[in-house]
Amino acid sequence: MDQQKRLLLERAGIDVADALARFMDNEALMLKFLLRFPEDKNFSQLEQALADGDATRAFEAAHTLKGVAGNLSMTRLFQQADRLTEDLRRQDLGAAKDSMPELEEQYAHIISALRELQ
Amino acid sequence: MNGDKDASLLIIDDEMVNRAILANIFSPEYAIIEAEDGQEGLDAIQANADRLSAVMLDVVMPRLNGIEVLRRLHQLELTDRIPVFLITADACSDTMREAYSLGVMDVILKPVVPYVVRRRVNSVVELFRARRMLGAEVERQRDQLLLQAQQLAEMGIGMVEALATAIEFRSDESGQHVHRIHDITCHLLHNTPLGEGLTQEQIQQIGLGAITHDVGKISIPDAILNKKGRLTAEEYELMKTHTVKGAELLSRIPQMREHAAYRYAYDIALHHHERWDGGGYPHHLVGDETPIWTQIVSLADVYDALVSKRCYKEAFSAQTATDMILRGECGVFNPRLLEYFCQEEPVLRRFYPCMKGAC
Repeated sequence: MDQQKRLLLERAGIDVADALARFMDNEALMLKFLLRFPEDKNFSQLEQALADGDATRAFEAAHTLKGVAGNLSMTRLFQQADRLTEDLRRQDLGAAKDSMPELEEQYAHIISALRELQ
Repeated sequence: MNGDKDASLLIIDDEMVNRAILANIFSPEYAIIEAEDGQEGLDAIQANADRLSAVMLDVVMPRLNGIEVLRRLHQLELTDRIPVFLITADACSDTMREAYSLGVMDVILKPVVPYVVRRRVNSVVELFRARRMLGAEVERQRDQLLLQAQQLAEMGIGMVEALATAIEFRSDESGQHVHRIHDITCHLLHNTPLGEGLTQEQIQQIGLGAITHDVGKISIPDAILNKKGRLTAEEYELMKTHTVKGAELLSRIPQMREHAAYRYAYDIALHHHERWDGGGYPHHLVGDETPIWTQIVSLADVYDALVSKRCYKEAFSAQTATDMILRGECGVFNPRLLEYFCQEEPVLRRFYPCMKGAC
């Protein structure tokens, strides 16, 4: 992968070397799934569930987002989704809503980097 | 296991990227099956139970979640046969404890690390495979032992038959005599109420005892055994000792003593010349003092002697033989025994392919 692309992804909080290892050094497969990430519905479902005050659905969305972010080595997004998951496991909607802006910012970062990559 | 197309691995996860990562890790070694939720996963497990090497199971999923899938697999006792791995982003200890109690083999955390997940899964798959092979091997060896035991038992019976037949040959008979007595005895025990209360195994043992009923004749000199004319009183007394001698002979063979058929063989050898009215020998037993199975052998012995040619007599027809028995010309028999004998006698003729008056 060229250095410029790599830097772009790294700056967005994606550990490229770690992701490549997870895809067994299959760069094409890794890129295919990175570029599909913007279609993933978990982020919007998390937003919606929080707006609706539905802690159970919000927990499921945050939990799934955490898994996907982890597998794609989106290190910071993974950490933030993890924090929300734990807030929501305790049904603490207030804490989750407080954590949300930071996650949103990180998510937006990744999406714009991936758009640029395309 | 490389290239083993029979080995399949099922990945149950609602996120395509998670399935793709695991599929990419395991596709060199396994045929990959994917399911997008718990219900689909459960269906796939039941449809492929015989060829699944392992199941990778996500926890939070729509429809049926991973723990519910696990609960169903546990009920179906499938977790004993197929190793299930929980793949989860959730290190929550309650979930893990429940998963382990439901028979999960291992819990692997997302994000997965390829070489770790591969090693952990493969070593468990190998363990299950080895266990299956060992189970199959134990079963194979058990079958072999059973077969050998059966062969040994058959050889033992073969030796007894050989001994009895050899003795029959001495007295100038075909050797068929012992086999027919065996067949008649077993037939009456199997097909009439005379065999009530006896197991198949016991009837088989009585049949073996019938074969050795005359082993004591080995002690009788040829001159008496094969004498063409009538025996003198003294010769007859000697002839009668074949009962006691036979029982004694059997009791001196340790292998025979330990055989389940011994108690039958001993009594049959000793008492197959007793009669219902006490007119037999050697102990002049009366009525049911002689066990019913020995009484049957006595009657079979008499019937067979009558319808066969012997050195001292020609063969009688089946009808004549039956009439003679019923008239008490060969001693008195148990009336109940005679009743079932008469009922079955026409069938007994089929044991004699060239019977006089029957062919």
